[in-house]
Amino acid sequence: MKLKDWISPFYVWKRAFEKPFTVPKPLDERPGSSRYRGFHKNDLEKCIGCGTCSSICQNHAIDMVPVEGIETTKGDSGLRPRIDYGRCCWCALCVDICPTTSLSMSNEYLWIDTDAEVFRFIPGAENKPWDNVQEGYTREESYHIVDPERVTMEMLPPDERVKSFLEMVKGYSREQAQKEADRCIQCGICTATCPAHMDIPGYIKAVRENNIKDGLKLMYETNPMPAMCGRVCTHQCEDVCALGHSGDPISIRWLKRYLADQVELDDYAKAMLVAIDSNGKHVAIIGAGPGGLSAAYYLRLLGYDITIYEAKDYAGGMTRYGIPEYRLPYDQLDKDISYILSLGINIQYNTRVGEDITFEQVYTSFDAVLISVGLLTPYKMEIPGEELPGNISGLEVLDMVTRGEKVYFGNRVAVIGGGNVAMDAARTARTFGADVTLLYRRRIEDMPADEEEIIDAEHEKVEFITQAIPLRIEQTEDNKLRFIFGLAEMVDQGDEKRPRPVLIEGKEHSIDVDMVISAIGQGADFSFLPMHYEALFSRRNQLKIDEFCRTNDPKIFAAGDIANKTKDAISAIADGHRAAKTIDHMLQKEGI
Amino acid sequence: MKELLQRLSDRFSLKEITYQRDNLIFITVEKSNVIPFITHLKQHENFSHLVMIGAVDYIENGTFQLTYLLHNYSLHADIGVRVHVQRENPVMESIHTIWAQARTYQREIREMFGIDFPGSPDVDKPFLLEGWQNIPPMRKDFDTLKYSQETYFPRSGRKHYDPQNYMKQKLYPDKEPE
Ligand SMILES: Cc1cc2nc3c(=O)[nH]c(=O)nc-3n(C[C@H](O)[C@H](O)[C@H](O)COP(=O)(O)OP(=O)(O)OC[C@H]3O[C@@H](n4cnc5c(N)ncnc54)[C@H](O)[C@@H]3O)c2cc1C
Ligand code: SF4
Ligand code: SF4
Repeated sequence: MKLKDWISPFYVWKRAFEKPFTVPKPLDERPGSSRYRGFHKNDLEKCIGCGTCSSICQNHAIDMVPVEGIETTKGDSGLRPRIDYGRCCWCALCVDICPTTSLSMSNEYLWIDTDAEVFRFIPGAENKPWDNVQEGYTREESYHIVDPERVTMEMLPPDERVKSFLEMVKGYSREQAQKEADRCIQCGICTATCPAHMDIPGYIKAVRENNIKDGLKLMYETNPMPAMCGRVCTHQCEDVCALGHSGDPISIRWLKRYLADQVELDDYAKAMLVAIDSNGKHVAIIGAGPGGLSAAYYLRLLGYDITIYEAKDYAGGMTRYGIPEYRLPYDQLDKDISYILSLGINIQYNTRVGEDITFEQVYTSFDAVLISVGLLTPYKMEIPGEELPGNISGLEVLDMVTRGEKVYFGNRVAVIGGGNVAMDAARTARTFGADVTLLYRRRIEDMPADEEEIIDAEHEKVEFITQAIPLRIEQTEDNKLRFIFGLAEMVDQGDEKRPRPVLIEGKEHSIDVDMVISAIGQGADFSFLPMHYEALFSRRNQLKIDEFCRTNDPKIFAAGDIANKTKDAISAIADGHRAAKTIDHMLQKEGI
Repeated sequence: MKELLQRLSDRFSLKEITYQRDNLIFITVEKSNVIPFITHLKQHENFSHLVMIGAVDYIENGTFQLTYLLHNYSLHADIGVRVHVQRENPVMESIHTIWAQARTYQREIREMFGIDFPGSPDVDKPFLLEGWQNIPPMRKDFDTLKYSQETYFPRSGRKHYDPQNYMKQKLYPDKEPE
């Protein structure tokens, strides 16, 4: 060891007593300016984990990661952004794009640590001194990278609408559709909420890039009725769209319609290019509503020979005989159905199982049977006078109008109910020129009907009476019907439950009308099933069905409105797809 | 400012005028007019202070836009003199003889956008980016993401979950009946 090595430590010690050249922290406080882009903050409650901050970051500084205590739910991925400050350049693009405005920056800029790993952190999840600093950078109200407003859809004005059954929604042009598609940030939060889990970002991208055929194919992977769904779907996806947090959600439904509208039926086969190898097995489907049709489509693609038994003279179920033409023109429904049937599916119209052919016959001649008979029996109000002529169910009215039968609505109609059937019946009666009063036992906000339906009905001058409890129907001297009802008060049922309407005794109200249309719900009709299938039921009129659409008879499966809670077309389609996969699985594996 | 603008338009051909505020206007002039125009503003209209020179890449038009921001202390007003320079072989006359500090701005713009200012002192010396090999980084065709991926390593232990797939895993994973 050299002499110098011995001396230098002491040399350093000597220096220790001199005035240092470096300036120790803390410096005098020098806060960043009020809009300074300092360290990130994130309001974890507001953030939905859409990952757009991560996608836009030009430095790949952001990862989306699970955070303890944050659940994945519909509309929230449960992930939260984690930022690597080794890469961030503080450009604030992530803050500018954040659709919930949860992400922001404080004006703090000093953070000193000897451990480099701490600079990769989850804003909001790890306590930081700047979490509660008000100042810093937020997106300015008026500044938007993405247009917060959707491209308006042209509609027939209400006074035109009530004159005919012309389709009221006009559809997007190519420019409009591409502009709307351009707003999509492609986060995919919506996909989990769609009952069929359609690849929504995928087909919206196809619209944007004008890859119409690819878009159509993509839709058919999970939904073989896009022209129908593109018009009347309940679009739960739009309720969770990330953009809905600070503007209009993407018009997902109209974009789906746009794609389906771009391809002529004659060109579907060319676009889809499916090849089917029959596998020699036979599946029977009872009911040609969306549930049955969807199962038929996917089973056929898997090579099954399909026979559908349908009681009516056309396919489509409630989407044909329920939904009115101004919302879903028949030629559009037929386009979806024709393509499905064109794959070589045998359909027996006017064949009601239980009447024209027994269930037993069906059961024994096929390898598997799918029941998808929908809910066709309207519930009764259970009030005196219900049997009087002039009182009719919403389903019956809509069915008659669809079949072109004459319906006498008269001048004044009372519609009872608050669901989609009630709205459709009320608006149909308006189209026939009647004044319509809709009575519902709860409040407007409790109505199960889609919000748009309620608004459209209001625009078309349907009068609403809420908290009205039906008491009885009487015949008046001038041969009209007197609908007598009481009013209800809403009684709180505690947190989780919705308030219950309770009749205020003693006071009665009435309206005199030409027709009473009751639309308070409908149930299934399983009378076609012989007695010894009792074991299929959990309760009266309720089949026991597992998450794979199986009943407890290994050959019988169920799908559609009878098998799901949401009871809309897309859920029936999703069920049909699920049932198809299960049937395939069971038939291939177990050879039942 | 109104009268000032009148005086200016009598002497020069002004291509485009944008009133930003009472005390801020932007005037676009031809490239060949920039030096006389700026000199005039400084010497005759009291815009004695060069606040900054800015550049924007309008790749879609094939041009860069330069903005010379000049301040008038007595009016408390600014004029931004704008000029478009072709993106192909971009060259602009230097103004370091009018304001000496312009050399620094010009050196920075040379580095960040690749616009040359022949004669400007040290204009080719690196400003911030020592050893830069790539196209000038403020050009719109510079791919920031690609560059940062090639140049910087991600911290160890980084992991990213795609929201759409993650939600599928959590909420509706593929399952088969037994
Ligand atoms: C008025 C109205 C409006 C609606 N509006 C909307 C809407 O806007 N958006 C939306 O998403 N959903 C809407 N729905 C709901 C949607 O129509 C249903 O969820 C969907 O049609 C259910 O499909 P499914 O296949 O289960 O049954 P269904 O569509 O009901 O089809 C059942 C089929 O089975 C046939 N069938 C029944 N029994 C037998 C038998 N024994 N033998 C042979 N065939 C039989 C029936 O004739 C029918 O064709 C509406 C429903 C109604 C009634
Ligand atoms: S963009 Fe906003 S809402 Fe989406 S994950 Fe990032 S911080 Fe959360
Ligand atoms: S500030 Fe810019 S660089 Fe930093 S994380 Fe956000 S987008 Fe990425």
